[in-house]
Amino acid sequence: MSKTNRALISAGGLLGFLLAWELTLRAGLLPGALVPLPSIIPSVLIEEIRDGIWQAMVISSFQHYGIGLLLGSSLGIVVGVAAALMPFFNALHAWLARLLRPIPPLAWIPFAIIWFGITPTAAAFIISIGVFWINYFASYSAVEAIDPGYNELADAFGQGGLLPRLFKVTLPAAAPGILGGLRAGLGQGWMTVVAAELFGITGIGQRMMEASSLLATDVVVVYMLTIAALYAVIDAVFVLIQRRILRWQP
Amino acid sequence: MAAVNETRQPVLTARDVAVGFDGTPVLNQVDLALRPQGLIAIVGASGVGKSTLLRALAGLLTPLSGQVQRPGATRRDTRGWSMVFQAPRLLPWRRVRANVEFGLEGLGLSRRERALRAERYLDLVGLNEYADRWPHSLSGGQQQRVGLARAMAVEPDVLFMDEPFSALDAITRRRLQQSLVALRRQTTAAIVFVTHDIEEAALLSDRIVVLGHAPDEPTASVRATVDVPLALSDRRSDPAFRPLVQEVEEMIRTAPQGLQAADPSPSRASG
Repeated sequence: MSKTNRALISAGGLLGFLLAWELTLRAGLLPGALVPLPSIIPSVLIEEIRDGIWQAMVISSFQHYGIGLLLGSSLGIVVGVAAALMPFFNALHAWLARLLRPIPPLAWIPFAIIWFGITPTAAAFIISIGVFWINYFASYSAVEAIDPGYNELADAFGQGGLLPRLFKVTLPAAAPGILGGLRAGLGQGWMTVVAAELFGITGIGQRMMEASSLLATDVVVVYMLTIAALYAVIDAVFVLIQRRILRWQP
Repeated sequence: MAAVNETRQPVLTARDVAVGFDGTPVLNQVDLALRPQGLIAIVGASGVGKSTLLRALAGLLTPLSGQVQRPGATRRDTRGWSMVFQAPRLLPWRRVRANVEFGLEGLGLSRRERALRAERYLDLVGLNEYADRWPHSLSGGQQQRVGLARAMAVEPDVLFMDEPFSALDAITRRRLQQSLVALRRQTTAAIVFVTHDIEEAALLSDRIVVLGHAPDEPTASVRATVDVPLALSDRRSDPAFRPLVQEVEEMIRTAPQGLQAADPSPSRASG
């Protein structure tokens, strides 16, 4: 199947789904109060944008996301790399990591509220937790998997010291794995944004909850699609950066 | 040339060196002296500890006992020693030029000096036009030549080579052997060359150190040291070449195989 054909079929599938949705509602097979007509979504989106709500919500969510992502990713990478390089540190926190790892980010919401109140910091904190673990494990495995021959090479050419080795061998060699973790974290963090805002912190999640309490399902769908579209953009931009960094790969 | 070198201080000496793993020696009683600009080839069956010995001589491994004396760098912008590995071990995220510059970083050279040095040695191995390529786009033989340029660029007193041509096809290997002969005229480095290929050893070296097991000895040691008194150019056509190769082959063949442990050198050490 050629690429164009595949894209055409995929687009057809999507259009068919929207059409079926629209027709089922118009035929009265689904209750209109529970599901909005897809055809009215664009006008609702335009309205949200005209009122400035959409921009405010997106910017606000991006702030939580950005801070949580930055915090979770950087800490995850630093701790993961350190754990792979330092056996003592690895052993020291191994059980602690095993204990904390299975706790989902959303289970931290009570503490987030107690510690930070209903604030953007609380949302960023919750987002950072999921992102942290993904980056931690990805970085750890990436450094663990480095060919020991590279370390010998560093020793043989006077680059075996902690810092030269870290920056000239360890990090570049682990870069594909670390970037893979960053990308997964990008997705995981974005999924958490909405949940982290559901308890009243301004952003997409809060707007969705507000709309749902008024049964404004069309507004809910606008923000669901916003989440999907923004993630597609974020991911595409990241893939471009990733390709640029890893341009040395065959 | 050999006679002149004999009068100069060795650049590398090993006295009663033993190497092995977890305290158990695989190879012991190694005595070596490498003269400036000399080339010693270390040969022996696989598992005898050639690569491990090479790493102990280079200082990448601590010998179980004995002493190794290596020179420090003679100039600020050189290194005492460097190494060519069995696999090229180019850093895939660095372009060819930057791979050659790898050992030069940390020698206090300016960026410009590093680039010039890399250019000179890439030229020497005939790969200057590949300087801006990524390693993966080079053939195995070309990658190994970059590895050679990288090792030579630090202008070492001793160059350690660990079966550098063994992973290459026969034609490429022959070509690289010829380049090494030519390169020796342009470098002041003395070379320790590990190989399991006797012909290669006889082709390149001044002296062949044969490792093997004495009868009833579980630990290998130096079985013989054979001087190669042939002129470097066109050795293959020298009438003394074939008999020399056969002599060394015979020495390795007569080592009692039954006592050799199953290859104890882990892939990390031999790779």
